[in-house]
Amino acid sequence: MTMLELALNDNRTQYLPNEVISGLASWNLGTARPVVELRLSWYTRGKGTQDTRVERKVPFDDPRARDTREFRLPLPDGPYSFSGRLISLVWQVELVAGTDKQTIEFTLSPTGQEILLAGIGPVK
Amino acid sequence: MRARDNPFSSDRVLRVRFKPLGTTWDAIFARLGELDYRAAIVGPDGTGKTTLLEDLARPLNDRGFNTRWVTLNLAKRKPTRDDARHAFHDLTKRDILLVDGADHMPPREWRSFASRAAKAGGLIITSHVEGLLPPLLHTQTTPDLLAEIVGHLAFGHLVPPPAMFADLHHRHAGNLRDALRELYDRCADMADEAHPGVRK
Repeated sequence: MTMLELALNDNRTQYLPNEVISGLASWNLGTARPVVELRLSWYTRGKGTQDTRVERKVPFDDPRARDTREFRLPLPDGPYSFSGRLISLVWQVELVAGTDKQTIEFTLSPTGQEILLAGIGPVK
Repeated sequence: MRARDNPFSSDRVLRVRFKPLGTTWDAIFARLGELDYRAAIVGPDGTGKTTLLEDLARPLNDRGFNTRWVTLNLAKRKPTRDDARHAFHDLTKRDILLVDGADHMPPREWRSFASRAAKAGGLIITSHVEGLLPPLLHTQTTPDLLAEIVGHLAFGHLVPPPAMFADLHHRHAGNLRDALRELYDRCADMADEAHPGVRK
């Protein structure tokens, strides 16, 4: 049975632009796969067509069928995580082995928190 | 309500898969075989043509075919040079071309594309109109299908009363994509009215 796990150091999910996101990637794939990689990407979610952009792909060297690796990925300076009524922009780190994926979402902004557009109030 | 929290956001809607109405997956594949894997999925906007084409890909892969995609629309009516290279390079009978929006192609472009696709093991397209290839299936929707999809998407949120589905389905002429977009707005409105100035 395929298992992929991602964990961010200190369970941290809020980041500033140009910081480094780090953590542990673990997997048990049964048999070794030629490519196991991390992807740093953002996507939009909301009413319209979904946009997505992979900012960085980092393949692990010589991935074994069962393995645990540390990772450190420098973050770009944008775009910032935000939410409005019609669209949200969400950042994520993905651990990808073929068609199998594990994902962790995080926020990227000058405050570390998601920017709320007009009409979206504070969290209850 | 944040867009990411709306149960009718496009990423959630896109995860809804095709449900055969009045037929079965076995019957669909039997028909596809009878047509030698050259067929058209025909239907109006928002009735599941693209979803069905997507959902055919994995079973075709399981049957030993490689699938190659070309997507066309009103803004992109002809395959680009990259599309053509992707579609026709080293084409064999183990390859099936999947063309979403084939009816957007001008007639001459379509004839050329179909001719080049003769080398492939199959050509399956979506189209709003008949006539390009023999029909595999005519897509259709019902208020009950809309209700089922909404029940799945809106689990844990307020669900419209049953009478609303017939009205929604009728006003959007069976276009579930447009019906779900209206529900997106209604859901956002309801959340904002329930908690003005507060986000869930």
